[in-house]
Amino acid sequence: MTRLRETLNDIADEAPPVNLADAAIAGYRRRRRLTTGAAALATAVVLAAATAATTVPWQGQQPAVSQRTGTVPDLPAGKVGPLGYAYRTLCEVDAQRNVSCDAVEWRVVTAAGVTYRVPQAVGETAAGRVAPISISRDGRMLAYYSRQARAHVVRDLVTGAETTSPVTVEEDRIGAGSMLVVSDDGRYLVFDPRVGSKYPGTLIDVRTGRTVPLDGRYEAVGVKGGVVELVRYVKTDLWLMPVTGGGKPVRFKGPHIMFNEVSPDGRTVVALHWDRDLRELKDNTLTVLDVRTGRTVRKLAIRGLPDDKGGILSTGPWVSGHEFTVVYGLFGGRFSTYAVDAGTGRARRLTGYRKADSFLVVPGVNDVNK
Amino acid sequence: MDRHDGFREFVLTRQQALMRTAYLLTGDAHLAEDLLQSVLMKVVRQWHKLSKDGNPEAYTRKALVNQYISWKRRPRPEVPSSDLPERDVSHDDATLDRIVLRQALDRLTPKQRAVIVLRFREDLSEAQTAEILGCAVGTVKSQTHHALARLRAVAPELAHLLSEPEIVEVAR
Repeated sequence: MTRLRETLNDIADEAPPVNLADAAIAGYRRRRRLTTGAAALATAVVLAAATAATTVPWQGQQPAVSQRTGTVPDLPAGKVGPLGYAYRTLCEVDAQRNVSCDAVEWRVVTAAGVTYRVPQAVGETAAGRVAPISISRDGRMLAYYSRQARAHVVRDLVTGAETTSPVTVEEDRIGAGSMLVVSDDGRYLVFDPRVGSKYPGTLIDVRTGRTVPLDGRYEAVGVKGGVVELVRYVKTDLWLMPVTGGGKPVRFKGPHIMFNEVSPDGRTVVALHWDRDLRELKDNTLTVLDVRTGRTVRKLAIRGLPDDKGGILSTGPWVSGHEFTVVYGLFGGRFSTYAVDAGTGRARRLTGYRKADSFLVVPGVNDVNK
Repeated sequence: MDRHDGFREFVLTRQQALMRTAYLLTGDAHLAEDLLQSVLMKVVRQWHKLSKDGNPEAYTRKALVNQYISWKRRPRPEVPSSDLPERDVSHDDATLDRIVLRQALDRLTPKQRAVIVLRFREDLSEAQTAEILGCAVGTVKSQTHHALARLRAVAPELAHLLSEPEIVEVAR
């Protein structure tokens, strides 16, 4: 036996024991019932259509029944499964070009592709500001602002558990460019009333109600493993602050934007070096930075992105030990996420999104198109 | 006597071996279980015919590999996992090989991965592999060559596994 076969056998040994006979038989019977039922339903529909064709004169007199094919169900209570992304619906513009944002709402799309309305999440505040939502890196946690609770709510889509933050936040605190970040375990929220302003943000422990003020000049990238990743854009400084407070920032040479979360080995972070000519943005080149010394580790030219005059909109979480994500804006307004090999720069496409209504939110990336 | 008794007996005796193959193909216990269950649902539908004049095991194995390739072809949203790879843990050589090979297999195309599993674990001939994959023997040869080359490229530390004479011979 070759050592390759031995190793493959070792991997195969990790397969858990299964007992699938009855499950397969039950699945087969269920599918057969559905197929038989669908055939019967199809027959009934054909019959009904034939009947309707002979009763058309009554049709116009019947009360109108709401049959909007695009009706989206509300997010149900309980287990829904992890989310793929979220978006905010557009304001309505009537024939006289009057704009109404009253019906603006957040919608979530599960990883399985089902869309739900989230009416309990405020889409737009009374003052006309966007109330942000956040999806954790693994799509499991959804955080939003609830008008009824006057606080943020964290919903675990896998277990169905819902936690309302004990910290009251008045709606009018949500300013222009407000930001919300939820941790993977749903315990911590970063609420920034106005990113990049003097107004401080707040780290909220939704279990205990404990809060830690955050320097308003910093923007939160994520909360992971008990550490809040904060970036101050002008200089640029990165501050890996424990959730209890403390720590100190490291400074990078030159301005950088679009930081992603710290790499799995805790050593580097990826960002875009900013210059007035946007040269590195045009070349799809990112910079790998050392989080301890602030030095540039290397330039990473990304290969395999579409050549369509679009561009990188945001960096995102790591999907493995060697690949991180980027959100790419395609020419024409659509979006795609790509996994980029941090060593070679080779990009592979993960997911495409339709032309988002507005404010696309993907797991671990807050609002890629604001 | 239930008309599914024969199917039950077949599953009872073969399910663990099939599950091992499914696990090697997918690299994920839940996906492997889903894959095998969906294939067994097809098998139970065909059981009457298969038990009379067919080879249930060969049919199931073929369906398993083809279903896996078909699943991988379908665009599926990939959700970043919160589980990051383990670091700074010492392992013995065999464990290290297993971990590196698992990761390297994830970097192969579905067909390349299937070829590696069928040729080097199931020990099938090129002709048998071609029959399962529904392709020419020449395609199996080239897929094997490319799969091994890719494994060598993405995991140079597996050179000792991939340079054994039997493997080199197969890749020729």
